[in-house]
Amino acid sequence: MTTRITIDPVTRLEGHGRIDIFLNDQGRVENAYFQIPELRGFEQFCVGRAAEEMPVITNRICGVCPEAHHLAATKALDGVFGAEPTSVAKKLREILYMAFFVTDHTTHFYALGGPDFIVGPDAPPSERNILGVARKVGLDVAGELIACRKRNHEIITFLGGKSIHPVAGVPGGWSRAINAEERSQIEATARRNIEFARFTLAIFEKIVLKNPVYTEMVTSDTYLHRTYSMGTVDANNQTNFYDGRIRVMDPLGNEFVSYQPAAYREHIAERVESWTYLKYPYLKNVGWKGLTDGMESGIYTATPLSRLNVSEGMATPLANAEYQRMYEAFGCRKITAARYEPIHHRLATHWARLVELLYASERMLELALDPEITSPETRTIPDPARFVGEGIGSVEAPRGTLTHHYCTDQRGVLTSVNMIVGTTNNYAPISMSIKRAAERLITSNAPDETILNRIEMAFRLYDPCFSCATHFLPGKMPLTISLRDSQGGLLREMRRKG
Amino acid sequence: MRAVVKGKTVIIGMGNPLLSDDGAGIAVAHAVAERLRLRMDLTVTELHTGGIRLMEAMAGFKRAVVVDAMLSGAAPGTVQRFEPSAFVTTKNTFSSHDTDFATAYDLGRMAGVALPEQVSFWGIEAREFDLFGERFTPEVAAALPGAVDRIVAELTEWEGGA
Repeated sequence: MTTRITIDPVTRLEGHGRIDIFLNDQGRVENAYFQIPELRGFEQFCVGRAAEEMPVITNRICGVCPEAHHLAATKALDGVFGAEPTSVAKKLREILYMAFFVTDHTTHFYALGGPDFIVGPDAPPSERNILGVARKVGLDVAGELIACRKRNHEIITFLGGKSIHPVAGVPGGWSRAINAEERSQIEATARRNIEFARFTLAIFEKIVLKNPVYTEMVTSDTYLHRTYSMGTVDANNQTNFYDGRIRVMDPLGNEFVSYQPAAYREHIAERVESWTYLKYPYLKNVGWKGLTDGMESGIYTATPLSRLNVSEGMATPLANAEYQRMYEAFGCRKITAARYEPIHHRLATHWARLVELLYASERMLELALDPEITSPETRTIPDPARFVGEGIGSVEAPRGTLTHHYCTDQRGVLTSVNMIVGTTNNYAPISMSIKRAAERLITSNAPDETILNRIEMAFRLYDPCFSCATHFLPGKMPLTISLRDSQGGLLREMRRKG
Repeated sequence: MRAVVKGKTVIIGMGNPLLSDDGAGIAVAHAVAERLRLRMDLTVTELHTGGIRLMEAMAGFKRAVVVDAMLSGAAPGTVQRFEPSAFVTTKNTFSSHDTDFATAYDLGRMAGVALPEQVSFWGIEAREFDLFGERFTPEVAAALPGAVDRIVAELTEWEGGA
């Protein structure tokens, strides 16, 4: 018999997600799951609409990554209409996407992931936030973060045609070109982004890597899960956020499979469990073995760390140097000329995110300097003779591979819509990390605040965003953990008011 | 860099217009602007998520009104006004990706962002908020005109006192 422990947000404000921790008769954690209700009726909402509406509908699904949905939807439309975008259109899309990645990754580091390290994992919540970071690192960092967001939002606004919810993606291309002045602004922004990314990595080095307590925490087996790794790679098998093949490595670092995003259904299946309506994606050709890691378990991870695990070094020089430093710090052996054994220590995801931040900044500069970037040839006009009626669009969202799949009738009216959103890929690993935190802490005499913090840290390293699918927002949510014995009696209740 | 010319007052409608009652804040923001457009310098902004974005949306304005759906357990359609000092969060003013509004506001202050002197928050209790749809439930639809009247009255009073 098992006992269920429920961690419930104390108000409905953050939705009705909860964490269930099951104890056995010996009082040990048997399993930990998080359960979140999904938004209902999305497919019904879309079916019957013109497919061209999707880039502006799907970018409303989520307030955190509208740019990712906009691009995945636009790429799916390229497929539906059989219209291969022009080369400059792809580059303009990618510039917008790099600007988005820079804001998203910096914000995560300074506001969410960083405070655990910079202020300390057991500092009170009132200090363990961006304000605490600024007090510790220097007040200038607050201004730098705001300035970084502002300059990149300006790029997103003029390139995307609208602030926050871009509208410029059209089947076969992009609805506007850029002029020389705009190109200069992109270049200047990219150069400042590179400086800010390097500054951020320097903070990480000074405060985290030079502190033995933190390096021990990062390299310990807390949240160590040897799963498969997934990420999108370009023709050189190097990380690319906008386009490429999906590459999957086994836990030892051997390539398990590499496939076109359009073939996702041959490789990814979804596990349905009776106790939740979340579906756990897993590698179909390995199989589902429950919430466990290892070569035999089809659970995979799609995060900044997994993307680096599948990449043959980074495509830009500064990011590549940081990539090498990270793997060497973990004592990883080189497997190929450019790639190392995978890192499975989940807290290293925070470091990997900063390597990606630098890559996105450098890639933005490369694109700004591309000789054809101001070309007016931003669109392939769809030809009715090439109409396909089905399209699959995929990008790397900051928090995992995002896939949109649409089918239409001959008029281009949607008949089915399917999506695998970034965070969904990581449902199984997130559950495993929660379980690990619970195992270590739940029966210990650790103070309530420590237990709540450590369970939050398990979430946070994945940078989960449930806005796409749910209203469960595990940032600083109000949290209640009820610890019960195997008879269901209440042993202890822990509560945070948010 | 483009110069941004901003007016005195911003009304920020928060939520998702495709998620039934979650769109209430946006509908109210537009309705308020429609009523006041000829009388005052008013900017309308739609936002899906709060946190730092919400603070940024207020930057440069003298006054800000934020309208959002609310899930407090009150009867659907209930309209509540919050002072910033007493404000915790409505449905979307918090961001899972960064922080709550209070922290974002302090961050802005720390970074030297010009933030409004007057801010008010309005919450409209939602009934249906996780179903895709572009219609309000009857209780929420019935509450919207009253919410618009109250916000128009507040802005008129603020403007008169300026």
